[in-house]
Amino acid sequence: MVKGVVDWLDERLDLSDLKHFIAEKGVPIHTQEVWYYLGGMTMFLFGVQVFTGILLLLYYRPSSAEAYESVQFIVTQVKFGWLIRNVHSWSANLLIALAFAHFFSVFFLKSYRKPRELTWLTGILLLFLMLGFGFSGYLLPWNELSFFATKVGTGSAGAVPVVGHFMLRLLRSGDDVTGATLSRFYGLHVAILPAITTALVAGHLLLVQRQGMSVPPGIERAQKAGKLGPLAQMKFFPNYILRDVLAWYVVLAIVAALAAFYPWELGTKADPFAVVPPGIRPEWYFLAVFYTLKLIPSHIMGFEGEQLGVVAFGIVAIVLVLVPFLDRRASRGERSPVFTVLAALGLVYLIVFTIIGHYAK
Amino acid sequence: MSQIARRCLPLIAAMALFAPSQATAQPAQAANTCLTCHSTLADTRLATPAKLFSGTDVHRERGFACADCHGGDPAAAEKARAHDAAKGYKGAPRGQAQITACARCHSDADLMRRYAPKQRVDQATEYATSVHGKQLAAGHTNVATCASCHGPHGIRLVSDAKSPVFPTNVAATCAACHADPRHMAEYKLADGTPLPTTQFADYKKSVHYAALTKGNDLSAPTCNDCHGNHGATPPGVGAVSNVCGTCHAVFATKFQSSVHAQIFDKGCVECHSNHAVLKPSDAMLGSTGHAVCATCHSGADDKGAVAADTMHGQFEQLEAGIRRSGALIGRVKNAGIEVSDQELALREASTKLTLARTEMHGFVPASVTPIIADGAKIVESVDAAGEKGAAELRFRRRGLAISLGAILLLVVALGLKVRQIDRRSHS
Repeated sequence: MVKGVVDWLDERLDLSDLKHFIAEKGVPIHTQEVWYYLGGMTMFLFGVQVFTGILLLLYYRPSSAEAYESVQFIVTQVKFGWLIRNVHSWSANLLIALAFAHFFSVFFLKSYRKPRELTWLTGILLLFLMLGFGFSGYLLPWNELSFFATKVGTGSAGAVPVVGHFMLRLLRSGDDVTGATLSRFYGLHVAILPAITTALVAGHLLLVQRQGMSVPPGIERAQKAGKLGPLAQMKFFPNYILRDVLAWYVVLAIVAALAAFYPWELGTKADPFAVVPPGIRPEWYFLAVFYTLKLIPSHIMGFEGEQLGVVAFGIVAIVLVLVPFLDRRASRGERSPVFTVLAALGLVYLIVFTIIGHYAK
Repeated sequence: MSQIARRCLPLIAAMALFAPSQATAQPAQAANTCLTCHSTLADTRLATPAKLFSGTDVHRERGFACADCHGGDPAAAEKARAHDAAKGYKGAPRGQAQITACARCHSDADLMRRYAPKQRVDQATEYATSVHGKQLAAGHTNVATCASCHGPHGIRLVSDAKSPVFPTNVAATCAACHADPRHMAEYKLADGTPLPTTQFADYKKSVHYAALTKGNDLSAPTCNDCHGNHGATPPGVGAVSNVCGTCHAVFATKFQSSVHAQIFDKGCVECHSNHAVLKPSDAMLGSTGHAVCATCHSGADDKGAVAADTMHGQFEQLEAGIRRSGALIGRVKNAGIEVSDQELALREASTKLTLARTEMHGFVPASVTPIIADGAKIVESVDAAGEKGAAELRFRRRGLAISLGAILLLVVALGLKVRQIDRRSHS
């Protein structure tokens, strides 16, 4: 039947180029090949997010008066609403964890080097977008924790020099976190970010397909030195794609188990007039930044500490975007230990500060 | 009021103070040599008042000076002229003279309206009716007068947390005399027994003290809330339930309608004590163990004992039900089932239990039973919802187990397929 459909389409659209591409596309087999699957797993979870997000949209009401109650309705009254909401919440967290894992694997394998600068650029922007999804989605249930965490988070944006106040007002849709902020975050979460993400994912995938998988520089150097022969190739379809699907199923099983055994708490409804409850902290993926900003003294050499911290993180983000252009040695196929060490330090910093931030009072 | 008028007011006030025909106290704004001399004296007994008065003092802050209470000439540079009796110098007023000195302003409604319009002006009158006032009139100069509680100098507003008569400090202020056996040795109760000095120690064990000091509830009672402040006196027999009823109105009404109201000499105190009012518990009710009812009631043929045991059993049953239901919906909630309606219902059941405990003060089991029954009905409905939640939870986990099994089968099948394709590719 599938063949019939393909033939029908081929007759009308001439799929010979595509068929040829699929038949010929191969994936190099080597010791680091396992890391390739992280990107596919991240994309699969993005698909899960789109699917569960659309289902949640059918019942969610984006206003400060109804948001909490609508989520409560979803998890208590809607058939399997609890499962959809829990899967959406858990999948979001796993997606960000996998996006970070994919980012670090690409960094350590130097896959960003020429000619894949654009793939890196779209990838790093996608990572920032995923964080944006997490930040905007966290507020949507309009519960106490998310309300105050958003207040703290958007407050940090206010510390950006010159445009800080404008950014704070832009994010909050006013001077404070209110129902207008919720509407804004909702629009961001379900329309603006998905539109940009879809375009970037398409570009990212197109680049990956067009340029093929990157071979780690160490293996390339070994080949050039004659220590290693040409790499064996695995057919992309069906050998690689089936492995990819297998990994997706494993991820799906983990998300389903987490959703059923560790349901995502709804908490109590946000009360803007309530006293800030103790232990307010952002989601785990912002903890390292949050805790670092907390540690910075209020004033450093006449400048506001928080302002300096925000500027420093901004610089780090810009440097990350420009890594393929800064790491010239990797582009030439040479060893670039400085960037490897920096990536290792970054990874250790994120892990340590996230753990300390989680337990800090 | 114009700027000039505001600036001239103190001058006019000072002129009025020194005018022979004006006896009413007015703020003195003229030079005050009293502070100049006294603050430099080596004798701390004489220097401390000047230091305290120069610090936070409600009277100084409102423009009053030493001479307004002590008399004399505050403009004179030499001691003899400053302390001239002809200029009204009267030294440190003590005993009745102190009451009179304070009352000169504080009993003057016209004057007080200018400084504290809401403040009462009957403190001196009330004081005369108090045990302190009566003892003073009887010649006991050792009793508390105004300065004993408010301090003579450095007097702060009652609303100032550092004031000795701020609610959290009142008990310690009273205890300065009442917890001192030597000070209280010469005073006896009406029956001739020595006046106890354990009130403060007892009060510190009470639920009232805990609410005031640990719970920061300034409306929780301290000494003056039951005994009165300026008219301080022990509540008489029969008046105790009125005193407690000031706050515990519903309990007092129930008690007044009960058979015990006619029997109990000391009203509420019979069961709850006076200063050491402990947190009440259901263990106080019943005819066995440490129950207070057991003091008078025991045995199966004692109607009072049967009533106490019946109500005790009902309270225990409802409380256990609320606890059990709470644990059930807590478990279900932790597993992600929404139970906010049930939590609300359980709070309603707890309210019913509180209502029943209140109703108990009428000592008629028949009026307690319907309230307990209402509470039990709520607990029953919460239990049913909790069980439904637990069943839903089991369903979810069973569903997950099946889904995971299916996914696992797919993973295995895919793994086998991948191996088969790989083999085919290699061959």
